[in-house]
Amino acid sequence: MMDIFLTVFSATFFVTIIRTTTPLLLATLGGLVADLSGALNVALEGMMLIGCLTAVIVSVYAPWYVAVLAGLGVGGLLGAMMAFFAYRLKADIILVGFAVNILAAGGTVFALALATGGDKGTSINLQSQAIPAVDLSFLSAIPGIGPILTAFLSGHSVLSWLAAFLVFAVWYFLFRTPWGLWLRGVGEYPGAPEAAGIPVAKVRTWSLVVSGALAGLGGAQLAMFNYVGFTRDMTAGRGFIALGAVLLGARHPVGALLAALLFGTFEAFAVVLPGLFNWMPAELIRMIPFVVTIAALVLFSIRAQRALAMRGVK
Amino acid sequence: MALLEAIGIGKTYPGGVVANDGVNLVIEPGEVHAVVGENGAGKSTLMKILFGIEQPNAGRLVLDGKDVSFAGPRAAIDAGIGMVFQHFSLVPSFAVYENVVMGSEPRQGIRFDRKRAIAEVQALSDKFRLKVDPLPPVSSLPVGQQQRVEILKALYRNARILILDEPTAVLAPQEVQELFVAIRSLVAQGKTVIFIAHKLPEVLEISDRITVMRQGKTVGQVKSSEVTEKSLAALMVGREVTLRVDRKPTDQSKRVAEVRGLRVVNARGTEVVAGLDLNVHAGEIVGLVGVEGNGQAETLEAIAGLKPIAAGDITLSGEAINGLPVLDRRGRGLASIPEDRISEGLATGATVAENLVSTKLTDRRFVRSGLLDLKAIRDNATKLIAEHSIRVGGPGYTVGTLSGGNMQKVVVARELSEQPKLLLVNQPTRGVDLGATQFIWRTITDARDKGAAVLLSSADLSELLALSDRLLVLYRGRLVAAFLNTPDLTPETLGTYMLGLSTQTAEDMKPALR
Amino acid sequence: MSNVPAIDKSIRFKAFRQEVTRSVGALVIALAVTTVIVFLTSKAPLDALTQLFTAPAAKTRTIGLWVDDIAKLTLTGLAFSLVFQARQFAMGVQGQVYIGAIAASFVVLSPIGTTPFGLAAGVLAAMAAGAFYGFLPGIAKAKLGANEIVSSLMLNYIAIELCNFLVRTSLPLPQAGVLTTVDFPEQSVLPALVANTRIDLGLIFAIVAVLVVWFALYRTSWGLKLRLVGHNARFAEYSGIKSTFIMVSAMTASGALGGLLGAVFVQGQTWGKLTVQFEGGLAFEGILVAIVARSRPLAVPIVAIFYAYLRQGASLMNVRTDVPAEVIGVVTAIIILLVSSSFSVNFVSKLFRRAPAAAAVQSAAK
Repeated sequence: MMDIFLTVFSATFFVTIIRTTTPLLLATLGGLVADLSGALNVALEGMMLIGCLTAVIVSVYAPWYVAVLAGLGVGGLLGAMMAFFAYRLKADIILVGFAVNILAAGGTVFALALATGGDKGTSINLQSQAIPAVDLSFLSAIPGIGPILTAFLSGHSVLSWLAAFLVFAVWYFLFRTPWGLWLRGVGEYPGAPEAAGIPVAKVRTWSLVVSGALAGLGGAQLAMFNYVGFTRDMTAGRGFIALGAVLLGARHPVGALLAALLFGTFEAFAVVLPGLFNWMPAELIRMIPFVVTIAALVLFSIRAQRALAMRGVK
Repeated sequence: MALLEAIGIGKTYPGGVVANDGVNLVIEPGEVHAVVGENGAGKSTLMKILFGIEQPNAGRLVLDGKDVSFAGPRAAIDAGIGMVFQHFSLVPSFAVYENVVMGSEPRQGIRFDRKRAIAEVQALSDKFRLKVDPLPPVSSLPVGQQQRVEILKALYRNARILILDEPTAVLAPQEVQELFVAIRSLVAQGKTVIFIAHKLPEVLEISDRITVMRQGKTVGQVKSSEVTEKSLAALMVGREVTLRVDRKPTDQSKRVAEVRGLRVVNARGTEVVAGLDLNVHAGEIVGLVGVEGNGQAETLEAIAGLKPIAAGDITLSGEAINGLPVLDRRGRGLASIPEDRISEGLATGATVAENLVSTKLTDRRFVRSGLLDLKAIRDNATKLIAEHSIRVGGPGYTVGTLSGGNMQKVVVARELSEQPKLLLVNQPTRGVDLGATQFIWRTITDARDKGAAVLLSSADLSELLALSDRLLVLYRGRLVAAFLNTPDLTPETLGTYMLGLSTQTAEDMKPALR
Repeated sequence: MSNVPAIDKSIRFKAFRQEVTRSVGALVIALAVTTVIVFLTSKAPLDALTQLFTAPAAKTRTIGLWVDDIAKLTLTGLAFSLVFQARQFAMGVQGQVYIGAIAASFVVLSPIGTTPFGLAAGVLAAMAAGAFYGFLPGIAKAKLGANEIVSSLMLNYIAIELCNFLVRTSLPLPQAGVLTTVDFPEQSVLPALVANTRIDLGLIFAIVAVLVVWFALYRTSWGLKLRLVGHNARFAEYSGIKSTFIMVSAMTASGALGGLLGAVFVQGQTWGKLTVQFEGGLAFEGILVAIVARSRPLAVPIVAIFYAYLRQGASLMNVRTDVPAEVIGVVTAIIILLVSSSFSVNFVSKLFRRAPAAAAVQSAAK
């Protein structure tokens, strides 16, 4: 029991949590932006996966930041494609989203095979790069708390810091800029912004582009920091968990952060548990994030129902 | 020179419906110009063309002597045209000022300058005497205020020409007067107002000139001072049409429905029906009067079993029906014509035949041991289509292919295919043309004459006065007045109570509460 | 009135023809894209394309593979169609397949498996387990409003891991370390309909399922209620139809089909045992089948015939040439995108027409 206690409260565990949370958080923010504009983005999973592969392949030939941008860009492109089919060709956005997921599942393996000359499902033969960790060890110089600060703050991915900043940026965008007002208006009652001359389809298109870009960024983090390299289906449902996190986070950026942290923490458990308790079956440990997502979704829904009941609606 | 001119406008919708055909309109600066016509005469289409929502297939628009064409509402707004729709385009959770400035926000860098927005909206509201507070969310405002938020939106965008689409349809008579005060203040400060309506007394009161439309064409332009209600009506319909229905004397002694202490709470936790008592008897039509959103719709939904009730008792023919599922209530003789036929009264993707049996899926004529009797379902549809002269190719057509009036006939046909004990009716003729209105009114009164108890809610006071035996006025979910429908009862009297300006005492109400 | 049925039929025929043209058009475009991709990526493109388009029908054995896929795709397509008709986006067929397979395996590897009832017991257990697994997201949505897309997807992942876990720990293995159980007893394996092929009783199950689902949807009051809920849930409530009950029952029935597919997989000639990751992603491809079939049960097997051919062609191309089978994922995505959108054969002209911005205002103004 002592082991788990020590592990959970250690700085390394904290760093693990941040690492597992970052891709989820980026995808959740992406899901949030799309959801608030009234476009349910069920393709986060596929966008992340394609983001993973793109980042890995580009990183073989270009510096890490170019690879990250490529992941971001391809996600944005996929968002634009979704918007095109959903708004120009009037397809059901959920079906379009699943088409992207199917495209990602097959397409990444196919593209990887082409890029590597036949490797099936893993980029082990590619010399892909990692995103550098931000070294803050100079903080150790601060007397007293310095070493603790270093232990907790040093060693996170550049993108983790970026993700933290993006929580603020997305909040600022949504609640402090005119475009955020448009986006929320479009999501809540599209007739109003439309009558005010705001192009509803365009707002939704851009929100899907941003949503995809954030998911792609999450993919880059996953394939260039959490793991280095690509394996088939490496997102393993994170995009879908992010969808749950959007709902759980009450459609607010800070809520999204908390929800992503919750799921990230349980994923971190799944990372450290095998080392601590080797009797625990790996399959059950891998199940944890999914079980937690369902549990969180159900508890959240029960709470929402209770709140309604308290007010005497039912 | 005319400020705005529409010359020879034609518009045919995909599917071949000719909405406008050679329409001419001349608007002078600084006037209130009314466009009148029956439902379906093409007024709304013309306004949508003026505001850039629809593009005409023929004709041209001239603004300030120059040809213009609007690719979208944005272009019309930029040219100084503003429009207030009958159904408001407001984001419910946004504050008034956010709704007003949305799309043209004052900015400070990339930041939305809230302070300036609030100050500007306040200033505008003061200038045109609209009396709107910029801060509360619009969902908390009464309808009349929401309408003025819409007017503010147009003014904020420097509209010179303001199009008001049936602005009085949702207002109580006193609110109409407030609106007219605002319109006069707008015109006094140099704005031009285009006012779309079909209620002639209002039109004559507020407008300077009137353009009359009929069946997609303009049939005349007159000065308000030179016409009477009667001559205008004749122009509108091309013949003298009086909408009236005769109600037979009926035996109204049997109490069919009783509601006691009904309370309904909405999802936001506010009480929308606050302790309502009412009775409906066989053979009478009881009209629920009130500005929309004062609990009429919720009362009907609660009785129909579509909305959970917080407290109270509902009985039908002496039996308590609270908590009974919809189907059981229907089984006991309840029928209901809902407010919004497309979102509630029909499945537009399903066939006419399927829609006509949707409420009767426990009926042994159509379903036996869980299996559908397709022949009976088709025969039922064929019979009802003929009886209600629904214009459709056959029972197998999907409802979505029908016109609004015919869709409403499908709903009415289904609900009245068997004589109901209690009939709930909400906005039966909204958006329906005159012919269909006449038909629907007759069908409802026929049901009454045959002994149905009818509870009717409508935003149209003339409809309520034409059909009801008794009228109950609701304000904020409470009963504030009750009247027997006598010839001396006027809309103005009802309006005072609708707005909560006065309340009858229990003693006053007594004669009309049976 | 006498000519009404004739008009009825002609409209239906027109709609039918439109759907067919749209589907065929999408297929042609998807195949054209595939051809381009193969030409761009393969060293021997003609060889690869020949395999893709001719190999499945070339030999009895490959025809067997094709027919086997038709049966399975039909079942998953039906499962998706049932929930789509009720306008529920439950994506749980994959999970139901795994849970069904697990249930079937436990039953047939127990003493029951060697009795004459082994086969039926396995299949029924699978259907019951699948139904239960379909019921879960349904009841969570009906009672709590929990989003069925997220919950059903999570249940898929859980079922897959559960299968991995149980195969490793709780079922008899031929030797330690392998991730496949011992072969099922002969009494419990679906008999082959054509000797030495994979065509087995599963095909009959699929055909029966098509008829049952069609009958349930179009000839029973439950089916009419389900379709009315799918068209407009508020209207259904107003009519006195309990839309939550219909929703849950549709997901449960769909779950039973998913479970059945699980049994057809593991009790069939293909496997005859439980192994990890046995379905190879087929369950999810029911989305495509259901979308192209517009969720019409009678159209599902027809779509399945074409898609199964393509699927087998891709997999044979994968084995025999340098083009990976996953190219089919790209084809699938293109077909879904085109069929679910307002794409039509003359869509190129439509594509660049300005999107009617007014439509939204119009609907808002209503």
